[in-house]
Amino acid sequence: MPESDLETPTAGSLARWLTDCVASHLERPVDTIDPSVPLSDYGLDSLYALSVIAELEDHFDISVDPALMWDNPTVDALSKALADELAVNG
Amino acid sequence: MTVTPAAAVAAPVTELTRLLGELAAPGGPFSGERLAALDEREAFPADACRALDDFGLPRYYVPAEHGGALDDFGVVTRLLRAVSRVDLTVAAAHGKTYLGAVATWIAGDPRRAARLGRRIREGAVVSCALTERHHGSDLLAGEVTAERVDGDGGWRLTGEKWLINNITRADLVTVLARTSPEGGPRGFSLFLVDKERLAPDALSPLPKVPTYGIRGADISGLAFHDAMLPDDALIGAPGQGLEIILKALHVTRTGCMGMSLGAGDHALELAARFAAETADRGTPLAQVPHVRRELGEAVAGLLLAEAAGVVAARSVHALTGEMSVVSAVAKAFVPAQVDDLVARLLHTLGPYGLTDADPHGRFAKLERDHRIIGIFDGSSLVNRNALIDQFPRLARAYRKGRRDETGLAEATDVRAPLRPFRPEALSLLSGTGASVVAALPSAVDRVHDLAASGGASGGLATLAEGIRRATDGLHERMATIRYSPRAVPGHAFGLAEQYELCFAAAAAVHLWLSRPDRVDETWLRACLVKALTDLGEPVEAADRDVFDALTDVLLSAPGTVPSLLDSLEGAAR
Repeated sequence: MPESDLETPTAGSLARWLTDCVASHLERPVDTIDPSVPLSDYGLDSLYALSVIAELEDHFDISVDPALMWDNPTVDALSKALADELAVNG
Repeated sequence: MTVTPAAAVAAPVTELTRLLGELAAPGGPFSGERLAALDEREAFPADACRALDDFGLPRYYVPAEHGGALDDFGVVTRLLRAVSRVDLTVAAAHGKTYLGAVATWIAGDPRRAARLGRRIREGAVVSCALTERHHGSDLLAGEVTAERVDGDGGWRLTGEKWLINNITRADLVTVLARTSPEGGPRGFSLFLVDKERLAPDALSPLPKVPTYGIRGADISGLAFHDAMLPDDALIGAPGQGLEIILKALHVTRTGCMGMSLGAGDHALELAARFAAETADRGTPLAQVPHVRRELGEAVAGLLLAEAAGVVAARSVHALTGEMSVVSAVAKAFVPAQVDDLVARLLHTLGPYGLTDADPHGRFAKLERDHRIIGIFDGSSLVNRNALIDQFPRLARAYRKGRRDETGLAEATDVRAPLRPFRPEALSLLSGTGASVVAALPSAVDRVHDLAASGGASGGLATLAEGIRRATDGLHERMATIRYSPRAVPGHAFGLAEQYELCFAAAAAVHLWLSRPDRVDETWLRACLVKALTDLGEPVEAADRDVFDALTDVLLSAPGTVPSLLDSLEGAAR
């Protein structure tokens, strides 16, 4: 996984990290992941998706509701929701 | 004598155990003769279930805040264990109401939950319909559909649920239904369907399915034909069905564990009696060395399963957010250990006539009945897959020693008062990992300290060290598991089984450390030798002698089986 700026994850840095992470799990090139397409379309099933959330939490040292990914099924939606939640929770 | 929390826990369990003893007398609804006859005819054990209703068992399926007596999930686990010691078909038939109602407790509207609580206390049967004919455990493939009704409100339910325990008998059924055509994790919702409120032509029961075990149980299906459900049938919000049911399973799996532990007790009790009463060419079987060794190892397996079970049931309260790990471990591990011990006893004593010795065929019946426990409420494969999905997190958390110290102390000290269960603390994914396992290295340090000061034997410290080494190595292997979605490598399932053993061994060490006054070191040594053996780790031949000590305890008091649970919390039989 790429090193990320641990201090202030923004929607942009979260989206980059998520795209890399998802591409690595799906074993496909990063540039084939469209951030506006539901990740389930790429075969990322709903329970497996939770382990991506776990990885994200551990990487950025944050705590989020794992079901956030179910409510925000694309990279764009998820990184925006994450950034919003982090802003609220400090 | 002062009343301790442990004594309070044991009260309803003691009472039910005493009652079951009476009801098992010849002619009673729990007598071997009557239960065997029902099993033979594949007939439902209605009188036995009615006797449990008369006792008031349903009260313990209903949380105190909804008008029942359930305030400690360890109690309902032990009550179901007590029934399963006599008959697993009855336990599965009656206990289904507990499994069926949990979704409403954790996510339902409080008024609806109070109404359901009243119905259950009055004897209503509740079922839970998740699976369908062509989809097995794949809940997201479900085709039963609920559509919003325009105008008057409510929902229209259509389709067929199949292979469901008690669905034909049930008064109410918790149903998982597709509520958005595209499906997905937010495409399903849960409904509490009250059959009384449906038009008679809105549903048709499907025939009873003949099964290998629990032959008398109502395993069947139900077809809904445009059944009109009121608005308040919805549990939680639309689209939350999958999330709610996955969380409900975190709780109900501890009940399944109780059923397995009871079946394990029953198997050992029957085997011990048989070994005491039977001779091989003049030598009592109880004195044949290899029989003694096998009996002892079977007891050790049960004690190890109990250790995982006690901690899992307490974790519902104390480590609620970790139940995605704990419940998966418990549901995969406990039934597997009990299946193993039943097979071990059959293999050892079968040739001497174990299954023919009992005129009511109780051993053969429990062997058949128990097979279902590893299948329903999420099969062992489903649970191990859930563990594997969490391997990276578990490996990272173990390396860092990340744990919830307060919750762990509460979960592993049976004297500690349990905090009330908070459903909102359930999580699809454990944030901490597994405190029970992450705290193993420091617990082993404490065993070493005790050994240095004479509070534990050097042998125990060596065994504990062996478990720590195995657990360290296992987490390194778990960290290397990478796979793309739906392509879980086969060997990861082997690692999941090893993880369960490490969890159970860690649970045993924690329990012993919090109550060394109540639990003989022998029992912990036996648990650790059993865990190391099953892990494939080297064990000294002399260490295995500890199994014979358990055999002596088993054979010394006919009708009782050594139990960690009972000695920790106070005897209940």
